[in-house]
Amino acid sequence: MREFPKIIIGLTTACLISAFFMGAAFVFTIKAKRYNEYLDFKEAMYGVLGYSHKNPPPEGLQFHEVYRYIIHEPKRDYMAYLVPSKEKGFQFIALTFDGRFLYTRPVKISKEDARQESEREKVLKELLGKDTKFSYASKFIIATNNGKRFAYLVPGEFPGFKTTIRVLLALDTRYKILGFEILEEEEDPGLGGEIKRKYFKNQFKGLTYEKIKRLKVIKKPLPEEYRRCLEHEEEFTKEQIEEIRRKYQDAHIYALTGATITSNAVTNGVKNIVKKFAYRIKILDSMIKKHKISCAI
Amino acid sequence: MPVKKKTPLNLIMNGLFNENPIFRLALSMCPAVGISTTLMNGFLLGIAVLFVQVASSCTVSLIKNYIHPKIRIPIYSLVIATWVTVIDLTLSAYFPTAYKAVGIFIKLIVTFSIILMRLEVFASREPLIPSFWDGFGMGLGFMFGMMTLGFIREFLGAGTIFGHQILPSRPLLFFILPVAGFFCVGFMMAVYNWVEFTYKRIKEKRMGT
Amino acid sequence: MRWKKFFLFLFLFLFTKAYPSSFVMKSSFLGKDKIFVLFAGPVDKKIAEDKGNYYIYEKPDPDIPLRIKEISLSEDRRSLTISFYEELNQHVPHVVHIKNLISEGRKIGPVVFSVKKSYAGFLLAILIGAMLVHNFVFTKYLGLCVFFGTSRRKSTAIGMGITFTIVMVCSAMISWFLYHYVLVPLHLQFFQVVMFIGIVSLIVQAVDIILRKINPYLFKAFGIYLMLVLANCVILAVPLLIVVNNYNALEAFIFSLGAGLGYFIALFLMSCVREKLELANVPPSYRGLSIAFITAGLFGLAFMGFSGMSIF
Repeated sequence: MREFPKIIIGLTTACLISAFFMGAAFVFTIKAKRYNEYLDFKEAMYGVLGYSHKNPPPEGLQFHEVYRYIIHEPKRDYMAYLVPSKEKGFQFIALTFDGRFLYTRPVKISKEDARQESEREKVLKELLGKDTKFSYASKFIIATNNGKRFAYLVPGEFPGFKTTIRVLLALDTRYKILGFEILEEEEDPGLGGEIKRKYFKNQFKGLTYEKIKRLKVIKKPLPEEYRRCLEHEEEFTKEQIEEIRRKYQDAHIYALTGATITSNAVTNGVKNIVKKFAYRIKILDSMIKKHKISCAI
Repeated sequence: MPVKKKTPLNLIMNGLFNENPIFRLALSMCPAVGISTTLMNGFLLGIAVLFVQVASSCTVSLIKNYIHPKIRIPIYSLVIATWVTVIDLTLSAYFPTAYKAVGIFIKLIVTFSIILMRLEVFASREPLIPSFWDGFGMGLGFMFGMMTLGFIREFLGAGTIFGHQILPSRPLLFFILPVAGFFCVGFMMAVYNWVEFTYKRIKEKRMGT
Repeated sequence: MRWKKFFLFLFLFLFTKAYPSSFVMKSSFLGKDKIFVLFAGPVDKKIAEDKGNYYIYEKPDPDIPLRIKEISLSEDRRSLTISFYEELNQHVPHVVHIKNLISEGRKIGPVVFSVKKSYAGFLLAILIGAMLVHNFVFTKYLGLCVFFGTSRRKSTAIGMGITFTIVMVCSAMISWFLYHYVLVPLHLQFFQVVMFIGIVSLIVQAVDIILRKINPYLFKAFGIYLMLVLANCVILAVPLLIVVNNYNALEAFIFSLGAGLGYFIALFLMSCVREKLELANVPPSYRGLSIAFITAGLFGLAFMGFSGMSIF
C-alpha cells in the first residue's frame, strides 16, 4: 500500500515524458506530412490529365480548387461553394437547393491553407457565426491554361466489392472523360484489383457525356484489337486510337472476368460522379455569370 | 552448453538464426503473414521494427534502475508506444506511398510480443551496449524474415523485385493473395527446422568420429 | 409499476420522435428503381399522383432531385409506388419531401421521411462481417502469436476465446468513449495508440484483481489467458478500426463483439484440427508450428469464400 504513491508518480512521470516526445515528433512532422500528401495528389492530377515526364504540363497550367458545403441555419438549409476569387482569397457563394442565388461574401484564406479542412472550418465559423452548422460535402478542381478553363478534375468515392474505391476523373469542358485514375482500392488482387489495369481503366477514356449518361456494363469478352490499344496507347497514333474507339467504344464497359460486382460499382460510380458534377457546375457557372461574381475560374 | 559470450556478432547471429523472432520464437507473426507481399513492404516494416526495437531496448536499458518492478510492463508498453508513434508520424510524413501499405501494422508494433519480451528478458538486465546489439540482432532477424518472405511472394507471385518486372508475367498469382503468407511462413519454419536437424546431425557425426 | 409506465412512455415518445411524420407508416426500397410508401390512412388520388408535389434526393446530395418516372396509388389509396428513370443507389439513404397530402378531407400538409436499408440489417452485416467475412485471424492475419499458442487443446481455446471476447468488448467500448469525448475535442488523435493500449492494460489488470478476489475458481480457469490478451494484436486493431470506420457506439459494440466471437470460432476450429494433427504422421521438419501454419493457410483459403458477402 505504501508503494501506491510511488507507482502513481512513476506512471505519471513516464506518461508525461512520452507525451512530450510524441508531441515533439508530431509538431516536426505535420508540415512535411501535409506537403507530401498534396504532392501525391498533384502527381495524380497531372497523370490523369495525361502529363508525365515525357509530356510535361504547359507553363500556364494552374489548378483552382472549389469546395462545396451544406449549411444548416436554424431556419433554413442551403448549399455553398468556396470559389477562388480573382484577387487573393475566396468567394463564399450561397445558393438554395433548387439553384437560386442567395448571397456571396469574400473569405480571406490562402490557397495552401484552404487545402486543410481545419483551416477552412475556422474561417467558415467566423463567417457564419455560432448558430450556424455546416458540413463539408465535396470538392472539385478546375484546371486553367493561361487563365482559360480547359479541364475539370473531379475526385469521388463509392463502395466497391470490399471497401470504398476512390477515383479521380479528368473531364474536358464538354464533360468528356480525358483521364481516369483509381486512387485507392482494396479489392482482391487478380480479380477486382484488375480495375487498376490499363485494359479496364482506359475504357473510360474518351467517353462523351452523352455516352456516360447511358453507361452500362456488358458481359462480353474484350476484343483483342481494343485490348492492345488500351494497354499500349503509346504505340498508336491519335488517328488510330480514334478509329478503334469508333469501332469498339460505346456506352458500355466490358466487365472484368470474375469481378462483375466491382466492374458495376466502378461504372455506376463514374456515371454518378460525372452526372452530378455536370448538373452542379452548370448551375454554379450560370450563377457566377448572372451575378458577375469575380472569380478566378 | 557453455554460456555464449555476449559479443555483438553473437547477439546478431542469435537474432538471425537461433532465436529468429518469426521462424523460431514464432512471435509477431501477424505482419509476417499479412503484408509480406512485396520486398519493399517487408523492408519497410523491418526497418520500422528494427528502429523501435533498438530505441526501446536502449531506453529501457538506460532507465532500468528507476522502474518500479510492479509497473514495469506498463512502462515497457509506454516506451514502445512512444517510439512507435514517433516512427508512425515520421513515416507518414516522409514516405506516404509506403505508409499506405504498412500503415495499420506500424501502429500495431506496440503489441509485438517480441519487443516486449526482449525488453523484459534482456534490456532490463543488461547494460546499454549489449542491449543495443541484442535489439539490433532481433530487429535484423525480423527484417531478414520479412524480406525473405517478401522476396518469395513477390517473385513467385508477381514476377517483380522491388517493383521491377523480372519475369514476363505473373507465374503464380496465389502467392500475392494474403493467404499465402500462412503457407510461406509454415514452409520457412520447416526449412529452419530441417537446417537445425541437419546441423545437429553433422555435429554429432563429427563428435562421434 | 410506475417505472414500467415511465419506460413505456419514454419508448413511445422516442419511437414517435423517430418518425417526424407519423402519417407515414412504412417506407422502403422496392426492386432496383422504386420506392414503396405505406400511409396511415387513404390519401387523395389527384394530389398523391402529382409529380410536382414530390422532391426526392439522396441524403448527401440535397440539391440534386431525382427524376420520377411515374407514381401509382394502390386500390385502397393507402400505399404508393414511386418509380424512377434511373436505378437507385440503395447504399445511401434517400429523403422524400411531399409538399401536400390530403387524407379524407383533412390536410396532412408537408410530409418528410427517409428511405433506407434497414438499420438492423446494417448491424447484422457488421456483426457477420467482423465474425466471418473479415475474420481477424484468417482474413486479416492479426492476433496470430496468441492464436497459435492457445489453439493446441480445445479447453485452452475455449478459455482464451471467452476471456478475449469479454476484454475485447469492454476495452473497445471504453476506448470509443474516451476517444470521442476526450481525444477528439482536444485534437490529440495521435495519442490514440498509447491510450488504447493503456486502456487494455488497465482492464486486464482490473479484471485480474477482481477475479482473484471474487471468484478464485474462475480465476484459476481463465487467469492465465488474461495476460496473453495484452499480447494480442487484435485488441489494439479493433479500436483503431472503429476510429477509422467512424462507427457510433452501438456499431462499435457490435463490431467488437463480432471480432471477439470470430476469434473464438477461429481458435475453436484450429484446436479441433491440431488435436487430430498430434496423432497424425507428420514429417519431422514440419512438426509443431510449421504444420499448424499450413493448416491455418488452408482455413484462410476456406474463409476467402466469405469475402465480399453482403447480407442485406
